Amino acid sequence: MSNSHLFLPSGFIRTPLQNGLGRYIPQLQRITLKFCKSHGGSRGVRDFIESDLMEFAKTNPGTVVYLKPRRHRSPCMVAEYLNGEREYLSCHEFSRDEVYKWLSYMCTRSGIPVMRFRKYQHTDYPTIQGVWNPFTHQAPEINVAEFPHEVLSKPNDQGPTATEQLIEIFKKTQMEDPANKPPN
Amino acid sequence: MVLDTVAYCRRLTVAVNVISKRNFKAHWVAPTLREFKRRKVIEEDRSGGPKIFHRSTFLEWNYDAEIFAFSNRLGEKFDDSSLRAALTHKSYIEREKARLSDIGLDSNLHFQDNEALSQKGGEMMSKFINGYLRAVFTQVPEELISAMHDFLTSNSTLETVAKHIGLGDLMLCADFPCKTETYVKSFKAIIAALAESSGEERARIFVQDLVVTQLYGQDVNELWNPVDPVGNLAAILKREGKAEPEFRLIRQAGSNSILAVYYVGVYSDKHFISEGAGESLEIAKEMAAREALKKFFHTEDSMRALPFGRQLKNIQSKIEQLENQPNLPFSEWISEKVMSAVH
Repeated sequence: MSNSHLFLPSGFIRTPLQNGLGRYIPQLQRITLKFCKSHGGSRGVRDFIESDLMEFAKTNPGTVVYLKPRRHRSPCMVAEYLNGEREYLSCHEFSRDEVYKWLSYMCTRSGIPVMRFRKYQHTDYPTIQGVWNPFTHQAPEINVAEFPHEVLSKPNDQGPTATEQLIEIFKKTQMEDPANKPPN
Repeated sequence: MVLDTVAYCRRLTVAVNVISKRNFKAHWVAPTLREFKRRKVIEEDRSGGPKIFHRSTFLEWNYDAEIFAFSNRLGEKFDDSSLRAALTHKSYIEREKARLSDIGLDSNLHFQDNEALSQKGGEMMSKFINGYLRAVFTQVPEELISAMHDFLTSNSTLETVAKHIGLGDLMLCADFPCKTETYVKSFKAIIAALAESSGEERARIFVQDLVVTQLYGQDVNELWNPVDPVGNLAAILKREGKAEPEFRLIRQAGSNSILAVYYVGVYSDKHFISEGAGESLEIAKEMAAREALKKFFHTEDSMRALPFGRQLKNIQSKIEQLENQPNLPFSEWISEKVMSAVH
């Protein structure tokens, strides 16, 4: 039991607009990379832009990539999602690989704020056969039965009692050896 | 295209989620920020909320790139002119013309608005939705089909869909924040633009993937309730030549209490059709008749799951065929007539 989830909102897994049911629409609308052209903290971002950015943009044609050089400011990325949410991440002193990994993380998000999932499945149709109620599987005979009833008043899964079992055993032994029957 | 006039409005909150990190700040930073926030809250309360700006007023905005991303996001190919026309509203054109004539320039704007496209798109969307509903709900009367169609084409549903595919930032319109009608119009125009660019088949799949999937999670029986279910059930059975429905009490509990429950079963010629439960005998009887109708129309709670996406590949031709062929109306419904159309 950790306390890292105390203030994290919790919920059931969900997706905006039944995404994936019809077609999958990548939810990342646009990503803005802000960096400094000279400061050392932006080196990873600059390296990423020079090497991996074009490939990223080609594999995600549904996401607009904006580059915003800002002097004397530490680098950051702001992701905007189709449901209107924004995610801000500071990329100060990130390496090129870290930038790439966080960027791919942003691609997989849907914009729904981070929350603890109570369950990893969700359905809008929780029951198909119908929820149990006390009348399910009841014999229709109870409607016109007069109680106490010799069959329905008893529990329906009751087996023979110990006394009855002993009597049965005794009767069996009686029948097996008729010579041992006590003379009348 | 950039909205030249400063377009902002007031809204309740503007949220930015921060992926937080551990950091070390001087002792005076937190109290300073707290004071800033306090003053900002007072100021915003006085003026009715924080300012929000249209995305196009930002420095990082490229309309051409946004349009390119829009079509790729959906996996569709649009003709550039059709798409831009679909996103341009009459109000925007009028505003631009007025602005240019105010300055004194000749307004020879070659913009095309989306009125015609929106009209055409609305009709196409209705047609595609009806085709799907009739192909999937084969046993259902036409009244329920129209109820489901009206739900899917309602302004609220279409506005949600339009917002979630990113139309909010792309539309050229004079109102900000954009009204529901603007979203709906743009969305319908997009459908028509898609049909023009990639063909009606692609537009049909687009509507099935985006609009019809909003039916998932909805209980179709909440959208339409037949009037006088008892009478209509009797009429249907009579038309089919079966014995008239007989209602019998099959379960009851707590008759003299608030939590009374009665189960009434419907029988036709001593064959069980359905049962319904209710707090009183009349309610239970009506529920039983409703359940019987649900059973006939195959819309019970245990009905088959609706097909979406790839599962529609085999029935696309059937959907196309049924676009112009309405189902039987409720007053003429007979199971023999609908048995021939098997899903």
